[in-house]
Amino acid sequence: MALIALQQVGKTYRRRGKGQPSIEVLKDINLTVRKQEFIALMGPSGSGKTTLLNLIGGLDFATSGTVNVNEIALNTYSGKALARWRADTIGFVFQFYNLLPVLTAEQNVALPLMLTKLGSRDRKQHAQNALDVVGLLDRAKHTPAKLSGGQQQRVAIARAIVADPEILVCDEPTGDLDRGTAEEILSLLQILNRDHNKTILMVTHDPKAAEYAQRVVYLDKGSLVSTAESTNENTDTT
Amino acid sequence: MNIFSFILKSLFRHKLRVTLTIFSLTTAFVLFILLRSVAVVFEAGWSGLDESRMQTTSKYSMIQMLPLSYGSQIAATDGVNSVTHASWFGGSFVEGDTNVATFAVDPDTYFQVYNDYEVAPDQLEKFQSMRTAALAPSSLLERYGWEIGQQIPCISTIFPRSNDEPWTFELVGTYAGQNSNTDGFLAFLFNYKYLHETYDLGSVGWYVFSIDDPERSTEIAQAVDSKFANSFDETSTMTESEGAREFMSQWGDISLMVTGILSAVFFTMVLLTMNTMIQSYRERIPEFAVLKTLGFSNTKVACFMIFEGLLLSGLSALLGIAFGVIVTSGAQEMFGNLVFMYLELETIIWGAVIATVLGLFVGIIPAIGANRLRIVDALHAR
Repeated sequence: MALIALQQVGKTYRRRGKGQPSIEVLKDINLTVRKQEFIALMGPSGSGKTTLLNLIGGLDFATSGTVNVNEIALNTYSGKALARWRADTIGFVFQFYNLLPVLTAEQNVALPLMLTKLGSRDRKQHAQNALDVVGLLDRAKHTPAKLSGGQQQRVAIARAIVADPEILVCDEPTGDLDRGTAEEILSLLQILNRDHNKTILMVTHDPKAAEYAQRVVYLDKGSLVSTAESTNENTDTT
Repeated sequence: MNIFSFILKSLFRHKLRVTLTIFSLTTAFVLFILLRSVAVVFEAGWSGLDESRMQTTSKYSMIQMLPLSYGSQIAATDGVNSVTHASWFGGSFVEGDTNVATFAVDPDTYFQVYNDYEVAPDQLEKFQSMRTAALAPSSLLERYGWEIGQQIPCISTIFPRSNDEPWTFELVGTYAGQNSNTDGFLAFLFNYKYLHETYDLGSVGWYVFSIDDPERSTEIAQAVDSKFANSFDETSTMTESEGAREFMSQWGDISLMVTGILSAVFFTMVLLTMNTMIQSYRERIPEFAVLKTLGFSNTKVACFMIFEGLLLSGLSALLGIAFGVIVTSGAQEMFGNLVFMYLELETIIWGAVIATVLGLFVGIIPAIGANRLRIVDALHAR
């Protein structure tokens, strides 16, 4: 069953100023993502990977075509409803972690739960559970400045999963990490996909990282050029 | 963590910068409390002043005394009820302390004219019958730890005694104004006979008298002054409230000056605080984008900035008002009824109102920015 369905999706940025040409970042994208799929989006810089991820994550609207998630077109949501939808449905992981420096790891993870009706004690418990899943419960009281890059990314993943969203959207989650740490993060994403039934869309430049996905989608100059099942040994299809 | 602690943590992310801003704002609120407390006195004169009470002083100087014989002539003027007199004694009860108003008064008539003052009948009787008797407001009893019946030594720079010995008064009671606000403005009163007999004075500082009809105050003033025109001791008569205002106006339009100073101070503070808030907002643009990504709505993110502004301003106001209250009370404690300062509840309420408006004002520009922020653009700003 298709969880995410993109039909004829295009995205054009209009430049400010008269006579400035528009930039077509995505054109005629058709893509279907099944529930619990782990997809890697690959392509050269400027190919539109992050823009596509932003459209699927409800951070931006398509200029043409429709982005459906759970058979609902995202462009039908108002700004407030879309924010609510993001809180309920999507977990975001960024390349540079984007943790709030004034908050501890536990408080960063609990941040999305401030939008729920959970009480303070329950929010804390949920945050600790999420930190436990990423193996960082012992660093709960540490601020981001006291954590390594890999640890910060684990906290970011814990923040992404704490509200139990259906979809994880990861924009180059290992782009700022060394190989060993990157593999730990990718394995963690794989566990979340396999054991916690998360549907994952991951943008990456790294073919090694893409090997952890079940399917690799290639973009070039704003068009979807190919899609292929991963056959690498890192792909866990059990 | 709740919303309040989240906003508090966000506000204090640069502790030194925020502390300095709070310190600046606190100073502004202290100034507000102090200057408004002064302006209140100058705007209103002394509380309890009555339009039906008039005073006659020397035409040329308040310190020049008037003949004792003028009292009966003033009393004989049409429209005048009771007449009394008072004389500035310049007394001090502790060495070097000259901050207490001490008046020699006529005990038989003083409380007839000041009929809104309250004094126990038995204490008034003692005051009238004893040559060395004195009455004081309870604030002075608290200040000096006096008790009724106690002998009070007093030194006067205007009327010193031979061999620099102190005058000694017996405190026979207390008196109070019509409300507690006026208590700080009340003087230490003693029997004029004691001064008159000791110095063979024959003159008094000024006369105070009550009139039937406040509408006739101008006419009565002219009638009184005309009696002493072209004499050696010409007089100037006016209502007590006019006299107070004239006395106050020696310092200029204090209210206008205070308003001007406070406006300049708060205008500068608004600019400085707004600058701090905008700087803080700009540094956190990617963080606001993250909050929106996580599902916080535009309105919620904007509200964070508004609440930060309110918290910054509120904390400063709390500290400033508290410090201002302490300083005002301390000044009144130290300088007694000579300090032109009275802290009204209204001043504190105005302080709170200013803090709220200031908080909203300094938070509104960052809030609009945070509200309009596009997630995709803001994430790229990192």
